[in-house]
Amino acid sequence: MSDAVVLALRARLEGPLDMSGVTPDRCAALSRSEIAALEVWVGGTRSAVGELFDIRGERALRLEVEGDLRDVHGLGAGTAAGDMVIRGDAGREVGARMSGGLVHVQGRVGDDAGQAMAGGVLRADGNAGDRLGGAAPGASKGMTGGEIVVFGAAGAAPAALMRRGLVAVAGGVGPLAGRGMIAGTLLALGPIGDQPGLGSKRGSIIAGAGVAVPPTYRLACTYEPPHVRLLLTSLRRRFGFPCDPGLLAGPYDRYCGDAGDVGKGEILVWTGHARSPVV
Amino acid sequence: MRAARIVITARTMKWARAAALKLTGFATSVIACKCEAAIERELTPDETPDARPGVSVLLFTMDSDSLGKRLTERIGQTVLTCPTASCFDGLPDAPDRLPAARALRTFGDRFQISKVIDGERYWRVPVMEGECLLQESFGMQKKGVGGGNFLILGEDVDSALAAAEAAVEAIDGIPGVILPFPGGVVRSGSKVGARGYKGMIASTNDAYCPTLRPLTTSALPDGVNSVLEIVLDGLSPDAISGAMRAGIDAACRRGVRAISAGNYGGKLGPHHFHLRQIMGAPA
Repeated sequence: MSDAVVLALRARLEGPLDMSGVTPDRCAALSRSEIAALEVWVGGTRSAVGELFDIRGERALRLEVEGDLRDVHGLGAGTAAGDMVIRGDAGREVGARMSGGLVHVQGRVGDDAGQAMAGGVLRADGNAGDRLGGAAPGASKGMTGGEIVVFGAAGAAPAALMRRGLVAVAGGVGPLAGRGMIAGTLLALGPIGDQPGLGSKRGSIIAGAGVAVPPTYRLACTYEPPHVRLLLTSLRRRFGFPCDPGLLAGPYDRYCGDAGDVGKGEILVWTGHARSPVV
Repeated sequence: MRAARIVITARTMKWARAAALKLTGFATSVIACKCEAAIERELTPDETPDARPGVSVLLFTMDSDSLGKRLTERIGQTVLTCPTASCFDGLPDAPDRLPAARALRTFGDRFQISKVIDGERYWRVPVMEGECLLQESFGMQKKGVGGGNFLILGEDVDSALAAAEAAVEAIDGIPGVILPFPGGVVRSGSKVGARGYKGMIASTNDAYCPTLRPLTTSALPDGVNSVLEIVLDGLSPDAISGAMRAGIDAACRRGVRAISAGNYGGKLGPHHFHLRQIMGAPA
């Protein structure tokens, strides 16, 4: 048993590599040779982990992946437990279908990161692509649990069809944020693109910077939402999530919508600096 | 006993304290109040989940069912009603959980909103002031200890009261311990049952009543004219022992003839706190 299983990519890939299912909880029970035999796909060709990666360690609930991983997709997908560290930028569908554990990407993540996630934590130190925390193609709901924390910005349609869970983005996010949210929370400290919260039933979108609130949302009040303070404090303490102390206390404008649907969703827009000192 | 720790926060310490004082009101003894509760200590923003000033409260009951009910009643009537106050679980590592605030969500009349943060569910209940935030479940310490006590036998009421106040000051703020009685002090210590009335759960501790010295089997040494009791509830026997040591040490001062404790024939509960052992002397 080792402290960690380390997979170091040997050479530049000749096609996109799908690593779905190579997870820390799976490696925790496998010897080095068994890990080497795990099936992966390069383009449409079947391959094995051992043909592409140098492997160090075995039987550990911590998995580290190194190398130029920009064309490696599905890293950490399906993780149920354990820690996975991805050293560098990663491809698409990182942490998709996670149900537990932690996947930490020390770089950017591509499109569809955290797709259909049900639990655990996906952390990206860089930017994220489109459809962060979204739904699988054709699915009626997206995330059903877990937390996605992005320290950079995110692309279009984050948290679409979210049923439960949290997507927190330190930077801005693209258009169609929180489209069709059923519940859950999308937090963006940077600007939010056009048409946020369209078709939202009950979800929360928290905007720390500029946002154009759709006309199908109605202003309720300006207040200090206690759960935003709790959420930001929790993110700061657990992840070192960067946020202006003024964001903790608010005030925030609360808009209720989407009037075209159930209408119990909300967009909370930070309106300035705190009225009282924040300790 | 069963115990819970409730962390109440608010915009200022004034309002956190206001909610905590009400939550712990009329909670001196399980005999008549159904629970025992008091403020454990005040918390800085660094110590609270939402980085606001807070107060930590301990609440004890005789069984799990009662603990859940008391939490629901008291949080509903004191935190939900108190301006800017929020309520959090103070025993997050306790494996036994009580969904005490779940019932309170219905005050929101289907306008309430659930949020899960770091795996814990919270309820946002809309109120006229804005929103009340309540954590849904509270950890339950199944091995809480109630009724730890020691008696201060003074020459007069002034010396007994001064010693009791010193003991309370020494115990105040010790983690995991509360003093549920007024000012932390009890003047009406009791014995189990009664001589003259059937069905009484408790009655005056006549052996320690100075006015009854010639009329009963008195336990009072000569020169003792006033007795006060310090009653402690704690999350563990160690917490009680440590607090008793600090309190007794502070209470040993001019005008105090002896320190004793209510033993109740060893029938009050499974935990026995032997004063000489606690103070480091041979039993």
